Amino acid sequence: MNSMWRDYDPGDFFDELMHSKYQPRHFSFKLLDYFKGMQNNAFKQRVKEAELEMLERGITFTVYSDAGNIDRAWPFDVIPRAIQKREWQRTEKGLIQRISALNQFIQDIYNEGNIIKEGIMPADVVYKSKGYRPQCQGMTPPHGVWANICGSDLVRDQDGTLYVLEDNLRVPSGVSYMLENRKTTKRVFPELFRLINISPIDAYPERLADMLASLRPDLANPTIALLTPGVYNSAYYEHAFLAQQAGLTLLEGADLLVGEDDYVYMKTIHGLERVDVIYRRIDDDFIDPEVFRPDSMLGVPGIMRAWRSGKVAIANAPGCGVADDKVIYAFVPDMIRYYLGEEPILENVPTWLCRKQEELEHVLEHLAELVVKPANESGGYGMLVGPHATDEKVEEFRELLKENPENYIAQPTLNLSVSPTSCGDSIAPRHVDLRPFILSGKNNYVTPGGLTRVALVEGSLVVNSSQGGGSKDTWIVDEEAVKENE
Amino acid sequence: MMLSRVGERVFWLARYLERVENTARLVNVYTSLLMDLPEQKEINWFTLATIFDAKDDYFERYDRVNEYDIMYFLLADPTYSGSLSNSILALRENARTSIDVLPEILWEQVNELHLLVKGELSSIGNRRRRQKLLLTIAEKCQCVWGIIANHMSRNFAYDFLQSGKFLERVDMTSRILEMTSILVSETRNEEMRQHEGILWATLLKSLSAQQMYIQINEYSLKASKVLRFLITDNRFPRSLSFALNALGNYLNYLPRADLVISRQQSILAEIQAYDEKHTPAESIQIMMDELQLKLNELNADITANWFYPDFSVA
Repeated sequence: MNSMWRDYDPGDFFDELMHSKYQPRHFSFKLLDYFKGMQNNAFKQRVKEAELEMLERGITFTVYSDAGNIDRAWPFDVIPRAIQKREWQRTEKGLIQRISALNQFIQDIYNEGNIIKEGIMPADVVYKSKGYRPQCQGMTPPHGVWANICGSDLVRDQDGTLYVLEDNLRVPSGVSYMLENRKTTKRVFPELFRLINISPIDAYPERLADMLASLRPDLANPTIALLTPGVYNSAYYEHAFLAQQAGLTLLEGADLLVGEDDYVYMKTIHGLERVDVIYRRIDDDFIDPEVFRPDSMLGVPGIMRAWRSGKVAIANAPGCGVADDKVIYAFVPDMIRYYLGEEPILENVPTWLCRKQEELEHVLEHLAELVVKPANESGGYGMLVGPHATDEKVEEFRELLKENPENYIAQPTLNLSVSPTSCGDSIAPRHVDLRPFILSGKNNYVTPGGLTRVALVEGSLVVNSSQGGGSKDTWIVDEEAVKENE
Repeated sequence: MMLSRVGERVFWLARYLERVENTARLVNVYTSLLMDLPEQKEINWFTLATIFDAKDDYFERYDRVNEYDIMYFLLADPTYSGSLSNSILALRENARTSIDVLPEILWEQVNELHLLVKGELSSIGNRRRRQKLLLTIAEKCQCVWGIIANHMSRNFAYDFLQSGKFLERVDMTSRILEMTSILVSETRNEEMRQHEGILWATLLKSLSAQQMYIQINEYSLKASKVLRFLITDNRFPRSLSFALNALGNYLNYLPRADLVISRQQSILAEIQAYDEKHTPAESIQIMMDELQLKLNELNADITANWFYPDFSVA
């Protein structure tokens, strides 16, 4: 056995690949057997090859710092994370159920507001949310779908239960890294794909293009573009990648204008040409300086006008970010029951709403054990992780909570599951989450697996790439199908 | 369909790619020339800086002229916008922002070129390693052109790439011709006279034209023949005539090209009218100066016609 694995021990954590220190899960047996059978040097050689792959292909993300913006190679861990196909099929159903309810919710609150009238959600939770856009009132986007691309974050607790941690309906990123991770694994460990039946994931760009085209059912061949904030955005690599792979035109705000006729045009060498569908990777705030932030240089003046008159489809629809609010998150199980008449397949992380007096009291009492999140932040910013925070930080949040309880929720600190990860000279358990991507237009599509993010620092729970996180290839393993050459 | 912005970026991508390759080759050929010549004043390392019109830029940064400073300035100086390393950055940035219309492997090659140069630039003080690096850079550029030739549809992006390449090529050929003419006219002493053949050979090599020249002119390295070859030959792809002609052909594929084409045609006509009897080697520099000004105007026409036209809504 490869000595790098000798001391591997997940301890009390739920391990994605292991039952216990010596016992692999049945669907990860071959995978582990392969890696453990590899000589240390051979393994390290492959790790190096993978790093070089990422670097040479220019797969980077931008880190903003005082010293200027730096392009860093995408941190990739070569040991895949595997999920059993049966479990995945259930998860997929759960994700579609959830996004369906969320879309109905957004449609409802910008139109009739039944969920509020019927007393299932308090009005102020919706209308005071930072993501709520009164400018969207009365709109019905194509198919009644607002969040066309969603990147939910799933985590697993100590007992193995899978929870939805966040829905990420605004401009979720990461799907290109999911695809690049697979490409790298195929180049560096081609043998593995002969041993194990792994669901392919490379249909995503095509499915994305189909979904976007379905937003203009009135047109046979709509012109579809991807609107990026530009090369200085941390996800620019992904924008360019998706445009290239899905055959979308990669646009910056300055390439577009809205005509007197309310159509959106792009500036081409032939003159102006109409754009019918825009996959925007710009936040609502910046999309139209006539309607939202007037100082935005990234957006297109008049684009909201064009959208409201149905002359351009925008994915995700402006205003859909309201459902990303962490307070609204707490109501998603209720939404599923209300709109679909079903019980939720995937669970929410237990959540205390600080706006409720008795729940706030509980939170304040157990502050040092809990995770506290503001209603409207993403990327792990502005939150408190009680067990890892200093006393001062805890006290700081105590004041914030008392001042503005409506703006916060609290959750138990989950003992996130771990997965074997290459850490220099040894293989060690590191915490992981999972971000599958869900497309919703005329139909729904869920990526098989998704992007597994891993906290590379020992003990850390922070998986964000901007804060020292890495990523893994994610396999949906079908044990029931047998590879022909076995 | 081609976005104006993307058109501009691929056009400049090609200009920088051609510039990087030409610069790498020129510096290598020049280094080999200096090894052959006796130490004297007229031809020295500084001549390289003058080819790039960078006299003032150089003396703003350095007091003396020596091999290392000139090499650092031309190849690695981050403060000089014309340095090879800055051209490679610009090349990469243009590729990165037009990646959706380019073959995926092109980006990988450009990125590898960038990584290679970033890692090896510190070695330029060492002649042997520098020569090797510059050779590799030129090869990488060739590889990118190969990808463009064999992996790209003949679409507008391709036409802008080719236009950028040939415009840059005319510019570079004219600069090298100009420099050689200055050297020939300034080297009046007898000792240099006997080296004139080496000068013309160097001129040909720096445009990788020596072999093709010899095939039709045998070993006769006469100034008039070399000049006629590099200015008016219609079959050698780095001659002024050929490159200007090719530029016109690609511009012609683009929409609304009439005005731009008429300027290109007038430049081409003047070049093809070249006659060594009326324009002796010593006055080539004036002709080339004029050509470079006209190329700037042509570049401005291209920019106004396709990249920043008036988009007022009809």
